[in-house]
Amino acid sequence: MKVQELAAQAGLKTFNSPGDREIKGVYISDMVSDIIGIGEGLLLVTLQTHKNLIAAANLVDVSGIVFARGKAPAEDVVALADKAGISLLGFPSDTWTLAKKLYEMGIR
Amino acid sequence: MQPKIAPATCSHHWAMVNQRGGFLVVEGCFHCRNRISFFSEEPVPPVDDYREGDHFWSHLGSFQASKFDLRCEKCGAEVAIPDVMALLLCLKCNPDCGVYKAGNTPENRKAWVYVALCAHTSHAGGACVSNTGLEALNAYFNQDLHDPSKKILIVPCRLRPFVDTCEGVVLADVGLTDLY
Repeated sequence: MKVQELAAQAGLKTFNSPGDREIKGVYISDMVSDIIGIGEGLLLVTLQTHKNLIAAANLVDVSGIVFARGKAPAEDVVALADKAGISLLGFPSDTWTLAKKLYEMGIR
Repeated sequence: MQPKIAPATCSHHWAMVNQRGGFLVVEGCFHCRNRISFFSEEPVPPVDDYREGDHFWSHLGSFQASKFDLRCEKCGAEVAIPDVMALLLCLKCNPDCGVYKAGNTPENRKAWVYVALCAHTSHAGGACVSNTGLEALNAYFNQDLHDPSKKILIVPCRLRPFVDTCEGVVLADVGLTDLY
């Protein structure tokens, strides 16, 4: 499944739409120092909305980022994500609810 | 499983190993104005001021970070990266900076430049991250990139002329342990 299809099906808010990449899996973390070790193409689910996170996500080439619990990135964070071609999405409820939803949609 | 390829002939595929969490601690000497960094694996990073020869080191900040080594999944070759404290994304703030210039060559125009930060932040003694570590980091972060227009370039922090004016984004958990 691609990022834009996921956003439409799961009713996720889109903060930008720089591209539409294939989602190879999901990784949930709020630590930048943890994210730098993940594989490429994963959808990153997090509560963090700062620039450091985008810098790490770009380094490991994520397919997109979903901010849970209604968190929203600042304009300069969106601008950096645009430049890096990283889709930023939002989910109003908690991370666990999102994780269940993604699993039910077949993203494993 | 035993590796079947000799390291000398192997086209390595690197994986992170020996990952350990801790804190990137930055200290400054008010006497010489140099900066140093180190990685602390203590649950609470040290914040004490201390004297070391002519230096009077004061704590400037601590950020959650992680260190790791790289091991080839094919041949088992391992590259220890003890001298890299953290990585920093260059935001191209200063055209005179060596990091900016490294990313501004024809072959690196589309590269995202990350700076490998060593412990000797001000490079008073000339030491910085090893070339072996840099080569392995560049290979690791580029090996699975499928977008031909994207490249990751990791350069040593000795290319930065000034530490205090650098606008880069450090890949550490800045503010994660702060209370709001």
